[in-house]
Amino acid sequence: MSELLQQVVIGLASGAIYALLALALVLIHRATGVINFAQGEMAMFSTYIAWQLVQWGVPYWLAFAATIALSFGGGMALQRVVIRPVENAPVLTVVIVTLGLLLIFNGLATWLWSGEVRTFPPNRPFPTRTFEIGGVVINVQDIGIVLVTLALVAALWAFFRFTRAGLALRAAALYPESSRLVGIRVGWMLGVGWGLAAALGAVSGMFTAAAFPPLEPTMMQAVLIYAFAAAVLGGIDSPAGAVVGGLTLGVFLNLVGTYADDLQNLGFPVNLEGLRLPVAFVFILAVLLARPQGLFGRAEARRV
Amino acid sequence: MRRRDNVALGARAIGVAAFVVVIAILPRFLSDFRASEMARVGIFFIALVGLNILTGYTGQISLGHGAFMAVGGYASALLIAGRPGLELAQLEAPDWLPVGDGMRDFWTIPIAALVAGAFGFLVGLPALRLRGLYLALVTFALAVSVPILLREPEKLTGGTNGLNLFGTTEDRLTGAIDNTVHIPVLGKDMTFNDWTYYLAWTVALVGLAIAWLILRGRSGRAFKAIRDSEVAATSSGVSLASYKTLAFAISAAYAGAAGALLTILSTIVTPGSFPVFLSIQLLIGVVIAGLGSLGGLMFGALFLYYLPVGIQELADIGSLPNGLQDAAKSPGMPSVIYGVALILVLFLLPRGAAGFLRRLLIPLTKRL
Amino acid sequence: MRRTSILIGVMAAAFALALPAAHGHETADPGVTGNSILIGGTTPLSGVASAYASVARGAEAYFNYVNARGGVNGRKITYKYLDDQYNASITVQQTRQLVQQDRVFAVYNSLGTEHNLAIRDYLNSVRVPQIFAATGARTFGADFRRYPWTIGYQPSYTGEARIYGRWIQKNRKAARIAILYQNDDYGKELIAGLRRGLGPMKSRIIATQGYEVTATDVQSQVARLKASRANTFMIFGTPRYSIQSFIYANRLGWKPQIFVNSVASASNLMEIASDAGNNKRVNGTISIQFLKDPTDSTRWAGDAGMKLYRQVMKQYLPKGNPNDVFHVYAMASAYTLVEGLRKAGRNPTRSGLMAALASLDSRKNPFLIPGVAIKTGRLDRFPIEQVQLTRWSVNRRGNGRWVRFGPLQRTPG
Repeated sequence: MSELLQQVVIGLASGAIYALLALALVLIHRATGVINFAQGEMAMFSTYIAWQLVQWGVPYWLAFAATIALSFGGGMALQRVVIRPVENAPVLTVVIVTLGLLLIFNGLATWLWSGEVRTFPPNRPFPTRTFEIGGVVINVQDIGIVLVTLALVAALWAFFRFTRAGLALRAAALYPESSRLVGIRVGWMLGVGWGLAAALGAVSGMFTAAAFPPLEPTMMQAVLIYAFAAAVLGGIDSPAGAVVGGLTLGVFLNLVGTYADDLQNLGFPVNLEGLRLPVAFVFILAVLLARPQGLFGRAEARRV
Repeated sequence: MRRRDNVALGARAIGVAAFVVVIAILPRFLSDFRASEMARVGIFFIALVGLNILTGYTGQISLGHGAFMAVGGYASALLIAGRPGLELAQLEAPDWLPVGDGMRDFWTIPIAALVAGAFGFLVGLPALRLRGLYLALVTFALAVSVPILLREPEKLTGGTNGLNLFGTTEDRLTGAIDNTVHIPVLGKDMTFNDWTYYLAWTVALVGLAIAWLILRGRSGRAFKAIRDSEVAATSSGVSLASYKTLAFAISAAYAGAAGALLTILSTIVTPGSFPVFLSIQLLIGVVIAGLGSLGGLMFGALFLYYLPVGIQELADIGSLPNGLQDAAKSPGMPSVIYGVALILVLFLLPRGAAGFLRRLLIPLTKRL
Repeated sequence: MRRTSILIGVMAAAFALALPAAHGHETADPGVTGNSILIGGTTPLSGVASAYASVARGAEAYFNYVNARGGVNGRKITYKYLDDQYNASITVQQTRQLVQQDRVFAVYNSLGTEHNLAIRDYLNSVRVPQIFAATGARTFGADFRRYPWTIGYQPSYTGEARIYGRWIQKNRKAARIAILYQNDDYGKELIAGLRRGLGPMKSRIIATQGYEVTATDVQSQVARLKASRANTFMIFGTPRYSIQSFIYANRLGWKPQIFVNSVASASNLMEIASDAGNNKRVNGTISIQFLKDPTDSTRWAGDAGMKLYRQVMKQYLPKGNPNDVFHVYAMASAYTLVEGLRKAGRNPTRSGLMAALASLDSRKNPFLIPGVAIKTGRLDRFPIEQVQLTRWSVNRRGNGRWVRFGPLQRTPG
């Protein structure tokens, strides 16, 4: 039993990491209607910036904050310079542009910092102390990551629901023409959306480097796959959905792996260990067939 | 009105004829190796024709067409090897699987297309309920999962190392070993590379013709109706279910043929031959080509193949200053250059090559 | 409709008439001119496996060094390597290009197990040497009777893991073994080798957990292995997952004796795994070495071989990372090739080169740890068959390094 609980705890911890990146994806999609496939690589690039700052002697938390600020600015600039020119192009064109960004950030990180593995100082961002409850080992760092993720979701929800800026962002995304009429500077709102997403991504990247060491250019690629899956599972426009999707996915993947051997002993034809990812996708497909808009998504009204 | 239609049709017919003639005589002017490169371009071309029917004409996104190529590729390999070949490779097929006793390589192409098409039909069924991003994720899941699923039954497919046809059969691989292919009807010999070039482009041209016939007929109109508005299409009597799954099946069949050609060209098939990036490349290709038209597909295929190659060869151009050469070759830079080139092309041609062609040729032709 | 059919007829005719005549035949032993030898190979220069690109770049740097000193028997070595993106289908196409178009003398240092397997039949059928395949799969040394033109370089994965197994048999009779392995042929071959080495103790393997390269982390697997109550932990994975294994074992409070495979044992990786001294699990980890570790500055401080290494890196690969052990591997392999080319004589032929490579006997490789010989023979196509057992030791100040123990071990393929 404690083994099962241990796997659930571990699953929640990794799920929180997926959820963070999924949040960034959801944010950009809500703000600009696009899935930003470069989100993972941007997050990785931000993490390298943080690492470089620490190497230069900047204290970790200062570097953390500076990186978030820089990422916000960078995300905003990216939207203005790279996405705006193709605003009126078919959606798929914009998607491919984000793929181009993926390649650029990946290459740039390798070029600037080489593929060598790196690490942050220990006990950052949270202490890696563990304690045990009933045979289950729990890591303080993982608790910290989960709490921060939940806090960010809550903050994001509150931002969209209760602040004028949040309202402006939502309006700019859904009804750009009407928003302009009311005086909302739609272009800047889209930029803010990208900036916020990039900042979220930076947090995600730095937590990834701590929870899934080491820091290297490919570290976010797999995370992006899971984040994308989690975002869609939760409903692509729902921050809460992204988090629930991420946590669910994390736990589910671990349980599949945990019981793969047992299932095989019971006569199951294949060992599911190597098939965690396909099985997870089947699970998501099953959910989507039952609920095509995702767990928390809004059912779309079809317009003629 | 009729005269303008005739002029448009005539102009396009001449364009196509010119294209065919160029394809036919190109190997005369190319080195042997370039012919094999153009064969790979042909493989991309075939996959793009199919994907365009699904994404360009029917408006259904797919991030997973590499998976259909994988299905076609493995089907072709298993058929070429047959039970005797599998045994030589210390593999075996279960009794219920009709792998046969070994088949000549080019005959496996249509069969691989059928197998992949059937698989595409199955995929199309659940896709009926999904749209946009949700469909994108499910097809992406295919791109990630299918190579793993093909790898898992090690006893049949050879696991990570895949199936090496070269080692299991020589007589069913045309020209791969002795590098000479004898064409009986015309009494000529050609090299393996030239042979694969002509094989690939014959399939490509046949595929293009079939696609054109499909698209100008009733199915084509149904596809476009679905893309433009599903609700309007349904109310006009177009069955969404039938045509969506048909589009998936057709596009998957093309990808399967492309995969079979890849197997024949490389004489091997491995899970690593169909990475996730391949599916992404195919999507990049249809967008660059221009959705919903057959005109830009050649550009898309050439772009997909030659951009990475060109970036590598950039470093070998003597005229570039040394510093720039080193920079272009350093780890990471080729990726950056590829990404920048991709974005620039899309800035210049947001509707792809076909969109550009359309704007150029609007006075001459009707909308493609 | 008549117009259409005429058009089709014309196109078909054009097609048929255009089919070209046969190209010319090949002559023996291309790639060798009066003053140069052309060799070629494939390496992943881009994509997920691009970390292995150093294997090609390091060799190229060493060849440039040799060329600057007159080359081999008066000929300069040109090493052309192409990016196969770690995709075996592309490997095949490019290898054909190297053989048919570039007319290389030999295919050298192509990287990857399935990639080398994909081209082995072809190269042997056209009698082109497939030299020093950059992979530890034992088939490249073991199956030389069927593939006489093929030879590997590094000790096989089977051989390496056998050594761990033998050591455990002798020194840890109460071992209960848990294995984390990469779910491909590399990981599985390590397990197979371990079982061979364990002999009667192979039933002591009580838990194995595999991971895919699409995994973000292996925490779940390590937790499962811990739950098996094993006291010995074999890490048969690549650097990323190896580092994680150390860290997660520590975080989960598991205290086994750890073995890590040589692909993932470079000192800088161990430093990262030790989490700045917080992770005591790395202490006492056992691995094997055959290359000089470039990140171990104390051990090789005055060593002539490593001085040469740094000099070559500085002069011919200034943008390369000298801490990358793959560069050392590359130069070791290049050094041996140069030895073989020298031995093949003033007028090297392909069969002459293979004969030379099948009769190597040298202890002078400056990049291998002292005592490790390069030796091949009539029935032996494993150039490197000796490795050194090493243990990660941490001194009082918290600095860790690999310390050798025991005699050189044999890894007979």
